[in-house]
Amino acid sequence: MQSETARVTTARESSYRVQYPNSKRRDVKVVALDALSASLVDEVSREPWNGAKFFTSLSFSTDSAPGTTGEGLKAWLKDLAGAANDLVEEVASSDFVVVVTSAGEGARAVSLIADACALHNKSLVALVVPGPETTDAQISDSMTHLRPFARMLVIASGADYISAMLTALRA
Amino acid sequence: MLKKEQNEYLTQTGPGTPMGDLFRCYWMPALLSEELPEPDCAPVRVKLLGERLLAFRDSEGRLGLIDEFCAHRGVSLWFARNEECGLRCPYHGWKFDVNGQCVDVPSEPAESGYAKKVKLKAYPLIEKGGVLWTYMGPPEKQPPEPEFEFCTVPLNQTFSSKRIQESNWLQAMEGGIDSSHVSFLHRGDLANDPLFKGAAGNKYNLGDLSPVFEIAESDGGLLIGARRNAEDEQYYWRITPWVMPCYTGVPPRGDHPMHGHFWVPIDDESCWAWSYDYHPTRPLTDGEVAAMKDGKGIHVKYVPGTYRPLANKDNDYLMNREAQKAGRTFSGIEGIGMQDASLQESMGPICDRTKENLVGTDNGIIMARHRLMRAAKALVEKGVIPPGVNPEHHKVRQAALLLPRAASYTEGAKEALIAKKGVRQTSV
Ligand code: FES
Ligand SMILES: [Fe+2]
Repeated sequence: MQSETARVTTARESSYRVQYPNSKRRDVKVVALDALSASLVDEVSREPWNGAKFFTSLSFSTDSAPGTTGEGLKAWLKDLAGAANDLVEEVASSDFVVVVTSAGEGARAVSLIADACALHNKSLVALVVPGPETTDAQISDSMTHLRPFARMLVIASGADYISAMLTALRA
Repeated sequence: MLKKEQNEYLTQTGPGTPMGDLFRCYWMPALLSEELPEPDCAPVRVKLLGERLLAFRDSEGRLGLIDEFCAHRGVSLWFARNEECGLRCPYHGWKFDVNGQCVDVPSEPAESGYAKKVKLKAYPLIEKGGVLWTYMGPPEKQPPEPEFEFCTVPLNQTFSSKRIQESNWLQAMEGGIDSSHVSFLHRGDLANDPLFKGAAGNKYNLGDLSPVFEIAESDGGLLIGARRNAEDEQYYWRITPWVMPCYTGVPPRGDHPMHGHFWVPIDDESCWAWSYDYHPTRPLTDGEVAAMKDGKGIHVKYVPGTYRPLANKDNDYLMNREAQKAGRTFSGIEGIGMQDASLQESMGPICDRTKENLVGTDNGIIMARHRLMRAAKALVEKGVIPPGVNPEHHKVRQAALLLPRAASYTEGAKEALIAKKGVRQTSV
């Protein structure tokens, strides 16, 4: 007699997978860390998303010294409409955070975002998308800045990966 | 998650499909040399990329891979007589050589020349590293021979096996680049398997269960780095190469042979999981070869006389709930190969990726799918030769090493990731 395992792994049985959704909408926050990635993120943000929110820059008060956490962490994300949003609040209401950078800029910004992620136990994915003029040294510089903070660090050769990744993540 | 159309795009490899065209750009493992051991031995049925073929070795030792069915009235040539440099169909005696050329139609006068007009489709079949490789694409685009290190070292340094997997190729291959499952599914095996145990690096795997990942594109595919904390301000890195479309390497442990896989589509609902094991600088020991033949490491035990795993879906993979409860195995299934295969087959013949919920650490899989789709599209629309065809792309090595915390693995491990003749692997 056919085993239960053999029977249930047929194509026919696979068609009986329950058709109810198995997850709720995710809140993904995408933050561009430099000017070049801001234009990429801006473009990607125009596609239809499930609720992903996009930010094109981060500003912070100078007394948010490295290592500042909790109450002391004062930084603002600029969304596409140009409005300022509190970094810590945005991170707190997310499922995970994606930062995008083109070259070695934004080191201080990423450490602030990482602090906010640590504060709320959110995981941080970092994406390096080199621009046409980015040098290898700049890429490796970006990686060095991002490495201590990201659970997943990706160097992608093309800007189309931003949207491919966000789609795959149901952002 | 993939959209339904994307899932179909990536999982269908039959003739005329975009991924089918992509696979037909590469040399692929088709059979083990042992399957065609001598001239005029029995022919072997082969199904690859949704095409039914027949492999044989003729009286002069030449290899052929041809359409399985006789051009006369469609009989399977598996029944043929392998004699005097060709396969003779037992029905009416038509005879075909290794190039598929019909060389004799007994009912017609030889002088008529009719046989010359009949030719079965044939693909080249070459022998390298104990493996018979084929290329199923357009003859004018046939690339140079494969240069993966496991098939270029002397034969006493390399061992390959294959097992049939009853699932689509993609879910099998994705297991090969999914480094984050190792700390769960295979955690019982590091300490016990003769082909893994004893490596200094194992303690880092067991000591830090939440590795951090870095993914970089390489010329031929991807380099997937997983790092764990180690002593003295260092990280323990394990780097998995993926060469398009379906070659993966497992980072080494100590001086154990290095291993990895090829995931070759048979049709859309089954694939061959090839497992290679080799040492770049020394012969495999008798003990190592015996362990590999006994199904240890990434190899499996077989149903006698077949390449079907002994633990398979018909016997519930010999599920052992007691071993699972006691923690000797995490899933209750014995052996790394079957731990993977059992779960991948359980997804169904073609995994429905519209329902999955990927997370950040799945970026290796996301990127591999993205590169495959991008390459297939460029090939179909513009004829661009995909990554991984150039044999230079094959000369990549898996590596395991300690690096200072500030170092990047793509820089720090640069040399370690290049296959160099006579140079030992980089491993802890
Ligand atoms: S936890 Fe990954 S497939 Fe279930
Ligand atoms: Fe595995």
